Amino acid sequence: MALALGKLTSGKKDNDLNTSSIIKVSLIIFLGSILLAQSVQAHHVLGRPSYSLSADSNTPPSMQVETQIGEYYVTYMAYPAFPKPKEAGRVNLYASRIDNGNTFDGEVTFKVKDDSWFSDKVETLGVQQLDDGVYRQGFIFSEAGKYIISAEFESGGEPYIIDFPLQIGDPAPVGPLGFTVAFLLLVIVAVNIIQRKRLQRLKAQQHHTDVTSI
Amino acid sequence: MYESLINFIRSLVYVPDEGMVHAGLPPGWVLLVIAVMLMMIIVNRAAYATTRTDTGSKSYMPIAGEYIKPLVTTPWLLLSIRIIVASIFLLVIYAGLFGTPIPERNLATVLTWTIWWSGVVISVFFVGSAWCAICPWDAIASWLVRRKLWQRGSEASSLNLRVPKMFRSIWPALLMFIGLTWLELGVGVTVSPYATALMALLMVVLATVSLAVYERKAFCRYFCAVGRTIGAYSSMSPVALRPVDQNICADCKTLECYHGNDSIEPCPTHLVMGRITQNTYCTSCGACSQSCPQQNVSWQLRGVGDEVTYASRPHWDEAWFILGLVALTTFHGFTMMPYWEGWMQQLAYTIGDSGKLLVSFSIGMFVSMLIPISLFSLSTYITKRIAFDREHFQRVFSSLVICTIPLAFSYHIAHNLTHLFRESQGFWSVVANPLGINALPLSMQELHMRHMNPLVADDIVFALQGMLLMFGFWLAIRIAKQRIVQLGLLATGNKMALLPMTVFISVITLLNLWLLMQPMIMRM
Repeated sequence: MALALGKLTSGKKDNDLNTSSIIKVSLIIFLGSILLAQSVQAHHVLGRPSYSLSADSNTPPSMQVETQIGEYYVTYMAYPAFPKPKEAGRVNLYASRIDNGNTFDGEVTFKVKDDSWFSDKVETLGVQQLDDGVYRQGFIFSEAGKYIISAEFESGGEPYIIDFPLQIGDPAPVGPLGFTVAFLLLVIVAVNIIQRKRLQRLKAQQHHTDVTSI
Repeated sequence: MYESLINFIRSLVYVPDEGMVHAGLPPGWVLLVIAVMLMMIIVNRAAYATTRTDTGSKSYMPIAGEYIKPLVTTPWLLLSIRIIVASIFLLVIYAGLFGTPIPERNLATVLTWTIWWSGVVISVFFVGSAWCAICPWDAIASWLVRRKLWQRGSEASSLNLRVPKMFRSIWPALLMFIGLTWLELGVGVTVSPYATALMALLMVVLATVSLAVYERKAFCRYFCAVGRTIGAYSSMSPVALRPVDQNICADCKTLECYHGNDSIEPCPTHLVMGRITQNTYCTSCGACSQSCPQQNVSWQLRGVGDEVTYASRPHWDEAWFILGLVALTTFHGFTMMPYWEGWMQQLAYTIGDSGKLLVSFSIGMFVSMLIPISLFSLSTYITKRIAFDREHFQRVFSSLVICTIPLAFSYHIAHNLTHLFRESQGFWSVVANPLGINALPLSMQELHMRHMNPLVADDIVFALQGMLLMFGFWLAIRIAKQRIVQLGLLATGNKMALLPMTVFISVITLLNLWLLMQPMIMRM
């Protein structure tokens, strides 16, 4: 499932954990967690759905996230909640300062990238100005898939990047099922062939031993 | 005095500004739990540890198994239940793959996370490891590989290799448990029907490949995180499969329970019924009871916590699994608190984490696990120092860790009660429409209705949660004392040796109590 979370690149370097004093098992746990974090391309929800399928109005549901990033409260909304290929949709971004509630007034650049393992292609969707307290960006995707829409802006000399994963179309249901069935069949057939040969070989050896002993 | 205490407890509760949350344990209950804890500490210090060394497996209590005997001696009854459960499981996969992505409207997410995962832990308290007997992962794997509904498969169906020595422990299960928790809470599988279905498929693949390659049921024995969790908790269960007459087992030369017979599979986890003292690896599959020519195996009643108090002897890997359970159950609680997201965002801000915050989550998870593990290690070390003990640290660690099972189990159940009783109102609607065809997300009105009308009244849930924590604490300090006596750490007459573990148990219980006090975010 998707979710969007903010990325604030404030020029600070990543903290390195000093793991030298951590006992062996804990180290394995940590490395395992980090390894998973690096290798699994999925979306984080911080213990709960970080988006909500808003159904407060009479309109079809939208997908939205509310989060706090740096100096701002940000609300990010994608409409419709489950967009299809070649269907028009839009994202709305609301950003207000935490300290005084003032809406961010500047430019927001919306970009999109393919959220697959082997693609790092990024395209700019558009640059939007504040319009009635909202930054709106339309989109139409030609192909189904997993994408990440990023909204980028700068405030107080610091860059803000907010990612919002978006699933276009339904995830392929038959693929995983077909793969599982094919894989299991392959394993079972292979195991049967190997085991039958092993048993025949054992029987032959047994027979040979019996004959020799006679 | 009472008022000021109540006000102080209230000041420890974080009240979020917005969002739907479940109410936490009221201050009155919190105060009662703390008072009972103090009382138990005093009583425990004064009381002598019992010297009972039996296994708790003797049928000194009436055999309840007579009434449910057909369940373990007649294969068809168990097979029927397995077929039903496996069918529901396949429906879950189908709904997850082809149904609506709205989690609260899809059978896959509601049944898997709200009903099953919450309920299976609670079920251990009443029926031990019975879930493993009807587990659909194993059932489907067995049918695929053995190509028999219940009888023993042919020799050609599996390579029957021995599991490599490095995997002959439950470290793989611990790693899988950590991985599943990471996927559940970090990636958010619980709110994705599609990901839930993929996870279900993955489990079937792992169980099937393991069964096809390795002898017996290596997946159940070494790799399955759910099975090992149930195994650890079932040592507290009041029921277990045990010999009716220990003497019959003592005289047995054929060991059908271990080897099986022409038609019945051998014990999937290499257990000999006559020597069984711990429930840890029993999957309640009933193979032993079906194959025993004397019909000497049956469900038996025993004292709650007897096994964990007197008989459990965890090895090093099992000790770490138990400690992992303590850490991960508490971590579960943390992630459902309203402030967790704020902490993660702050951490992400500090380290400049990527948009998905998976590194931040992983660090948070690691730290959350490290704290109870470090505290326990420290308590063990101090206990040894106080008692001038020359035993190997590993032995004392493994022996004392058993006292943490009641802590994990009681909190796990208390936490799951919230999910089960307060979030499962939509179950029948997803049964009626498992794929959620044309279903819309929950409206605010529906959400409020569910929030206001839990399946069980809040007061009952609070009472159960409070009593569970008290029970867990009582059993934990009782076991700690028993183990310290067994290890000879009180031989010098220094009762201070009890102190470190008492402090550790109190800290974990208070932490769990604090978590239950907090409002909990509604999952769906």
